[in-house]
Amino acid sequence: MSRAAEVRFERVWKRFGAESVAVRGVSFTVPAGTLCTLLGPSGCGKTTTLRMIAGLEYPSEGRVLIGGRDVSALPPAERDVSMVFQSYALFPHMTVLENVCYGLTVSRRPKREAMEAGRAALDSVGLAGFEARLPSELSGGQQQRVAVARALVLEPSVLLFDEPLSNLDARLRRKMREEIRDLQQRLGVTVVYVTHDQAEALAISDKIIVMNQAVIAQEGTPRELYASPASAFVAGFVGEANRIPASLRRLDDRDAEVSIGKARLVLPHRGLPDGPAELALRPEAITLLTPADPAAMLEGTVSKAAYLGGVMEYTVATPSGEVFVVSPSAGFTPASGDAVALSFGRHGAALLPGSLGTAA
Amino acid sequence: MRAAGLWSSLLALAAALLLPWYLTHDGIAAAPLAGLAWLSDPDFGPGAGQVLAQGRWWLLPALLAPAIGLLAALLPLPRPARAWFFLLAGGLGLGLLVAQGYAIGVQGWSAPWLEALFGPMEDRQFGVGWGGAMVPAALAVLFAAGLAGRGAFRGDAFTATVAVCIALAIAVFTAMPLVLLLGDAFRDAGGALAAGALFSRLADDRLWSLGCLAGAPRCGVVWNTLLLGALVGAGTTALGLAFALLVVRGRLRLGRPLRWLTVLPIVTPPFILGLGLILIFGRSGIVSLAASSWFGVELGRWIYGLPGVLLAQLFAFTPIAFLVLIGVVEGLSPTLEEASSTLRATPRDTFRTVTLPLLRPGLANAFLLGFVESMADFGNPIVLGGQFGVLATEIFFAVVGAQADAGRAATLSLVLLAMALGAFFLQRRLTARKSYVSIGGKGDAGLAPPLPAGVRRLCLAVALPWAGLTVALYVLAISGGFVEIWGRDHTPTLRHMIKAFEISGGQLTGLAWNSVITTVTLAAISAPITAALGIVSAWLFSRTRFAGRGALEFATMLTFAVPGTVIGVAYLRAFNLPPLELAGTGAIIVACFVFRNLPVGLRSGMAAMAQIDPSLDEASHTLGGGGADAFRRVVLPLLRPAIMAGLVYAFVRAMTTISAVIFLVTADTELATVFIVNRVINGDYGLAIAVAVVLIALMIVMLGLAQLIVGRRRIGRRAAVAPSIQPPGVQPGGAVA
Amino acid sequence: MLLRVVQAAVIAATALAASGAARAQGSLNLYCSVQVEWCQAAANAFGRETGIRVSVSQKGSGEVLAQIRAEAQNPRGDLWFGGTGDPHLQAAEENLSAEYRSAALDQLHDWAQKQARDSHYRTVGIYAGALGFGFNTELLARRNIAAPACWKDLLEPRFRNEIQMANPQSSGTAYVMIATIVQLMGEEQAFDYLKALHRNINAYPRQGTGPIKSVARGETGVSISFVHDAVTERLGGFPVSSAVPCEGSGYEVGSMSIIRGARNLRNAQRFYDWALTPAAQQLGAETKQFQTPSNRATPVPAEAPQMSQIRLIDYDFARYGASAERRRLIERWDREVNTLPR
Repeated sequence: MSRAAEVRFERVWKRFGAESVAVRGVSFTVPAGTLCTLLGPSGCGKTTTLRMIAGLEYPSEGRVLIGGRDVSALPPAERDVSMVFQSYALFPHMTVLENVCYGLTVSRRPKREAMEAGRAALDSVGLAGFEARLPSELSGGQQQRVAVARALVLEPSVLLFDEPLSNLDARLRRKMREEIRDLQQRLGVTVVYVTHDQAEALAISDKIIVMNQAVIAQEGTPRELYASPASAFVAGFVGEANRIPASLRRLDDRDAEVSIGKARLVLPHRGLPDGPAELALRPEAITLLTPADPAAMLEGTVSKAAYLGGVMEYTVATPSGEVFVVSPSAGFTPASGDAVALSFGRHGAALLPGSLGTAA
Repeated sequence: MRAAGLWSSLLALAAALLLPWYLTHDGIAAAPLAGLAWLSDPDFGPGAGQVLAQGRWWLLPALLAPAIGLLAALLPLPRPARAWFFLLAGGLGLGLLVAQGYAIGVQGWSAPWLEALFGPMEDRQFGVGWGGAMVPAALAVLFAAGLAGRGAFRGDAFTATVAVCIALAIAVFTAMPLVLLLGDAFRDAGGALAAGALFSRLADDRLWSLGCLAGAPRCGVVWNTLLLGALVGAGTTALGLAFALLVVRGRLRLGRPLRWLTVLPIVTPPFILGLGLILIFGRSGIVSLAASSWFGVELGRWIYGLPGVLLAQLFAFTPIAFLVLIGVVEGLSPTLEEASSTLRATPRDTFRTVTLPLLRPGLANAFLLGFVESMADFGNPIVLGGQFGVLATEIFFAVVGAQADAGRAATLSLVLLAMALGAFFLQRRLTARKSYVSIGGKGDAGLAPPLPAGVRRLCLAVALPWAGLTVALYVLAISGGFVEIWGRDHTPTLRHMIKAFEISGGQLTGLAWNSVITTVTLAAISAPITAALGIVSAWLFSRTRFAGRGALEFATMLTFAVPGTVIGVAYLRAFNLPPLELAGTGAIIVACFVFRNLPVGLRSGMAAMAQIDPSLDEASHTLGGGGADAFRRVVLPLLRPAIMAGLVYAFVRAMTTISAVIFLVTADTELATVFIVNRVINGDYGLAIAVAVVLIALMIVMLGLAQLIVGRRRIGRRAAVAPSIQPPGVQPGGAVA
Repeated sequence: MLLRVVQAAVIAATALAASGAARAQGSLNLYCSVQVEWCQAAANAFGRETGIRVSVSQKGSGEVLAQIRAEAQNPRGDLWFGGTGDPHLQAAEENLSAEYRSAALDQLHDWAQKQARDSHYRTVGIYAGALGFGFNTELLARRNIAAPACWKDLLEPRFRNEIQMANPQSSGTAYVMIATIVQLMGEEQAFDYLKALHRNINAYPRQGTGPIKSVARGETGVSISFVHDAVTERLGGFPVSSAVPCEGSGYEVGSMSIIRGARNLRNAQRFYDWALTPAAQQLGAETKQFQTPSNRATPVPAEAPQMSQIRLIDYDFARYGASAERRRLIERWDREVNTLPR
């Protein structure tokens, strides 16, 4: 399956009716052979985007290219993509094997060949022996694998997943997402994956495109998104983030000195001018200290403390507002009402460009 | 897209070359023509022969358009260019063929200005036959292929074909007849256009007179119709509610038998109830005889008129109200009532302040249904109406009376149509508005409270006698077919049965054979077409978005609200003359059955479609299947129970319809219902009932078979779409229309 | 797939349209205005004899006239058998029926031949029957009402709500009654009579035989109908008796016409000739219809009312069969009588 193809959107709009815009002038590229996740809250346009790749919706404006070919007006059958649906969309009146062979059957492949390919695909997802079952006789995870096998059997150049794991329980979800990642790596196929679960996105993606309100909020590798979110929205959506007011003074063309209360920190200024700014602070990057500790950067009082097994979650009231902290449950564990100090470094802290005034 | 264009062009071309263009009254077999002579015969020749040998140049598009389509499909053209050719050939060819059909009729040019334009026309043409129907149909498909090629309908030729064909069919068989009828109302008796004609007819005292309030013999038919409709609506709603409450909350073991009772009116030919009433309450009915022999009281002829019609319609339509209301009552969320009772309300308070108000939209819906049914009903008023005229019967007399007046019939039809549409819209608005009723959804764990004792007693007092009366009515009506003479000589006999269905010397000499065979044949032809069209259009409307979809869906649903008599008059008007000269053939009856019952098939199809996850279709699309694959391999198998239900329903409706077809039957196509109504009017009750019994038996056998087939099916989890047979009867449009 | 459905539909529909036609080499569409048993017996007998398939549509003569008129541009029926003579004459006058002279014409009674002459041979008499009263003897006895003997008796209060006559708008029988009264009394007095009679009428059924059927079943006491129809009911086991009005009565000449533009003209002519033979005319009596047949050679059954013993008026078929006159009288009736209170 070396035919993996690049997917490219060029200023694509999708309107439903006169009023509602689902996708607003979006452009992006998914390099061939990578796994790219469309991440965002519900209603952000990610599923519409996916459906436009599949050919289930047509763009109102702009072009969709798959492998360099403009497919904007082509029906799904002519696009060489296949899709795994959120509900799996297994045909309830067909057996597992019939489901898997469906794509081959409707493209008029010889029956024997179709059956063989179908069996092989079932085998590759570990469902050999389930050929004659009806989908309703399978568990959720098994149904999910059948859906994947059905999509794979056509050897598409792009494989689409629409929240494929949302109907599974947490443990199975982790297992399946690993399998999907393995499969993608093994086959080298281009995968576009829609989810609203940021952990899932971070875990499996080569690239994540975060969407919000019909536009792309940010795109990049999981690490880029987490380390330098482009906006408060991305910071909050990809992992947890405390937003703390700060003031900024540029040091050079890259870094700036950031003051939070009496603490100072050197961070990339990300184009921000001198003056007040906002800092995104990851809760697990904060260390809790006793008030007298010399490394203290911010002081406060614990207002809530919750024990979650491996970690503790604290809410700390500080002069800069409430701060959410996650720290190991071993070691220093203050109780509610205790005075504490916080410290943090460059890692896990980022200035938020364009956040002041827009999202406070 | 290319394949669709290719095949439709080939089909059109073949039809133009081989199939007789005109309607042949004597069939090809009967043609006294040897060898290939028929190919150029003026009567039997196909399109090609008509053009080349008979000089009918106006049929040239029938040859040229498919040829262009064929060329475009075969030549290596880019997709958009080919699509343009398809569009052009299909659209223009179709348009020209339709235009010539209407321009040149039985007497040459059909309008003077055409003669002025083209010179005198010696030739004339009759209705189209196989060829004349097939070529335009295939050109429509070609046109659709072109549309798909231009990117419409997601570029899918199958979807485009479905949409175009349904739009055309609706235009021809629903919109056109009604529009023509509307036009008729504006013509005076001589046929000339006169805007005043409508108003003078509308102002007719026979429609609007309120004289009866002041002692005149009768009121205007409009008031009669409204009064009857309101009474029937109120009555059926009250009775239906009583039954529904009892069945759901009354803690009786009545559910099953009562549900069976509701099937009866659906399979009953329209006047059997009226007949039963005559046999019980008529002057020599058992009640009257008992009254006069025991008490010396002459009850007289009170049954003929408003009381009789009202009673008959109550019997006929109560089950429909019941079916509507039982759904509503079952859908009530018990939690609300439990909440009420935890707030210290007594059962009676809860019923009055929570239950009844929650039922209100359902009650209004049931009332309007009863109202519409009553207005559309024709069988009961004609049998029992006496001097009490309603619009449906007045229309009938305006058409068949000695002083046939098409304009008056059209005007009356318009009035009836306006009233029915008014009620229909009202009902749609009611049901569309967010109803309070919580059907399905997240499981309400509550337990429905029993009826308050007083309410329960009231319901029992109303419902039990009524149920008993219904059963008695059926038993008596049916036994009337197996005694010598009802009311005089109650010796059991099979005389009527034999008279109706005698076979002597290998010939079917019974009086009813002809009509029963015709009925079954036409019903059997129309049912699959209705079901297929219903499912296809349900699929189209629920799975595709295209401009004008809403309008098309509305037009398809329109025949729902149109009373049968109006449809009949409109069809006779529209299909009496070429090019669509269907009057007098079985085809017009089939068309009438199909388009009259289509809305029900469509609605139940859409309900079933709503339960099938759209992503199944989409999965098929992304796996490389076209629209046709998604429809045939995915949707159809899942809809099988719904299709079966639609099939049976269409068959049953076709067997029991009277109002729409009474104008359309001829000697050759007489239907059993028409036969029965004529016998009833003539007083041959025994014969009428014998035929009706056979019809009912046939339909019950059908229902049973269908139930068996549906019941035995292996249905996947997602496919559990209402496999029951009878609920489609819950639609307006008349179970007994 | 859809294509296939559409094709199937088109084929089925057209096949159906043509299927009648495929058999049509030997078929005949009969509009029949006598009682259905007779219609069917005639159709069966003719079918057996000739192998021609006969389709029967039984309707009142007024309805058939309306239908033929409506279909004039494109006739569906071939032959119109039975029903009172006036609408047949009207059809002839309106050029709706075709001229045909059967070879059997001179075997017929004078009144039947006169019918043919009056219509310029576009119709012919096949039977005759006198108009009179039918009444239910049991019902009248129970209610202590004496049977009517004369037209004037019907106006008496004892018949309040006890009389039925057919609706002249759809029934030829009822029109014969109106024309008879007009000829007996003169038009003005006739309408006074009809208005007075209206008070005693309980219903105007659609078909001419409707009232006598009601009498038979005890739904009404008295009917205005043809006396031979009363005989039919009596033989059917009902307590029905009949009388011919003492002032004299009109009569009908039941007729038969070939519809102009008939598609199966030859078969229609064959049926026409056949229906005038004694063998065919006997079928009426065999199905308990006791009109007087028009062929002099047809045996008259004993039960049939003897026309010779009935005081008949000299019915002016030419005048009262004309459409304008008919329409005028019926419209006047509808306007002046039908709208009155009772």
